Amino acid sequence: MITTVLYSMVVGLVIISLVAILRAYSGPSALDRVVAMNVITTNVVMIILIFAYIDRSYYYIDVAFVFVIGAFIATLCILKLLREGHII
Amino acid sequence: MNKMVLQYTAVFFLFGGFFFLLVGVVGLLRLPDLYTRMHAMGKCDTLGAGLMLIALMLLIGDVTNITKLFLIGVMIATINPIITHLIAKIAYNRGTPMAEGSFLINDYVAAQRRRRRSMVQEVKKGDDSS
Repeated sequence: MITTVLYSMVVGLVIISLVAILRAYSGPSALDRVVAMNVITTNVVMIILIFAYIDRSYYYIDVAFVFVIGAFIATLCILKLLREGHII
Repeated sequence: MNKMVLQYTAVFFLFGGFFFLLVGVVGLLRLPDLYTRMHAMGKCDTLGAGLMLIALMLLIGDVTNITKLFLIGVMIATINPIITHLIAKIAYNRGTPMAEGSFLINDYVAAQRRRRRSMVQEVKKGDDSS
């Protein structure tokens, strides 16, 4: 039972992420695209964690952790570029 | 018996988290403005991710992996408000317009332009008098 629920949850999260790409495609400004990218990042982290439980291969939890930190630093760099015009 | 109760609780938390992520994406598509879209992102995403992490903690049941999941939850719960705050500040400083009929006006860029124009006029007046 629990495996079926988890697989359907993964399919639902993939569909949600594909719907959020619509906003990232047709956003009026660049900040709308940043917001949509943040939503997609959270969904992808959840997908990685659910697959880590389905496969019983718990090393993917570390992968999700690194993914969260990398997305955070990428968003910070985009926001600093938008504010000041340069990164370094 | 005990395992079945744990699994049903985990399924309840999973559907709760999925519901909040779905509501966040619907708000991202339907709301009219950058600031309101950001509001939908910051709240619903954090709550949905937290509920799904609680469900996975109940399912896994190992101390090491529960600690890692708790650390991911703490990271998401601190990163999402920081990103939301920065996006709001930068959008306000860039002069992003709010939706039609809202109670507030984004006056930052217009006020700066007015101040610059008045300074230029003062400088010109000084040149004329001299």
